[in-house]
Amino acid sequence: MTLMTGEDRLSETFAALASSTRRAILARLAEGEANVNELAEPFDMTLPAISKHIKVLERAGLIVRGQRAQYRPCTLEPAPLEEISAWAEQYRPVWEARFDRMDDYLTQLRSQRKTGEHDD
Amino acid sequence: MTDGNASRDAAVIERSFDAPPDLIWRMWTEPEHFKAWYGPDGAAVPVAKMDVRVGGSRLVCLEMDTPGGPAQMWFTGEYREVVENERLVYTESVSDENGNVLPPSDMGLPSGHPATTEVTVELQDLGGRTRMVLTHAGIPAGSPGAAGWAMALAKLADRIEAQGAR
Repeated sequence: MTLMTGEDRLSETFAALASSTRRAILARLAEGEANVNELAEPFDMTLPAISKHIKVLERAGLIVRGQRAQYRPCTLEPAPLEEISAWAEQYRPVWEARFDRMDDYLTQLRSQRKTGEHDD
Repeated sequence: MTDGNASRDAAVIERSFDAPPDLIWRMWTEPEHFKAWYGPDGAAVPVAKMDVRVGGSRLVCLEMDTPGGPAQMWFTGEYREVVENERLVYTESVSDENGNVLPPSDMGLPSGHPATTEVTVELQDLGGRTRMVLTHAGIPAGSPGAAGWAMALAKLADRIEAQGAR
C-alpha cells in the first residue's frame, strides 16, 4: 500500500463512498469478513465488476484483504471512516457559533416587536 | 463525541429555538435575516442571493477583516429540497463572485476538503418553539443523493460501533 497524506486519503475515502454498491459491501463487511463470492451474492453484477469495487475500497484503505491464495477474505478497516468524522467535526464549532447568533438575533427581533408573549 | 447517534460522515447539530418554525424558516431563506446570523464572528455577509426552490441557486459572500484589508469568500450552491417550514437541503461549494465553482484549495482550505458539501435543515414544531437538526455532510463532487449516503454511513457507523470493531 502506498503512503498518502491524510488529506489525499480523505478525498479518496469520500470518492470510494460515493457508490451505493460499495457502501452495501462495507455494510456487509461490518457484520464480519467475507470473500468476493459472498460479497457478490446480493448483487446482480458479474464477479469482475464486484472485484473492481472491492479494489477501489482496498485502495482507499477501507477494507483489507487476506493473503490466502484461494480464499482471500475482505475485512473492514474503520480508520478512514474515523478520519471523515474528524473532517465533519471541524464544522461543528462554526455552526454552534452561528446558532448562538441566530438565538441572539431572534431575541432582538422579539423585543423590537414587543409581542408580549415572553416566556423565558 | 457524546451524541448517541452521531454519524461519522457529517456534522449533526441539534438546537431548540424559542421561535416558531416559520420564523426559523425565514432565518434560512430570507437574505435580510440570513445575513444577521450566518457570518462567523468578525465576518459580515454583504451578499446573500437565494432562489429558494428546487434547482434554484444560491450565492453567499462572507467578508472578513484581515490585516491586509477585507477578504471575501464566495460560496455557491443549489437547493435540492424545499419543504416550507420543515425541510431545506442545499449544496455548497467555494466559488468566485459569479458563482463559478473553484477548487477548495484556492481558498486555503485543505486539499482533502470535499469540493461540494450538503447542508440539511430539518425543523420540528414544538408548539411555538422549534427543534432544528442541521446536518452538514461532505459529498464528492458530482455525486447525487448525498443525504442517502449520509444515512447509509450513519447506519454503517452504528454497526461498527455495535460490534466494537477495533
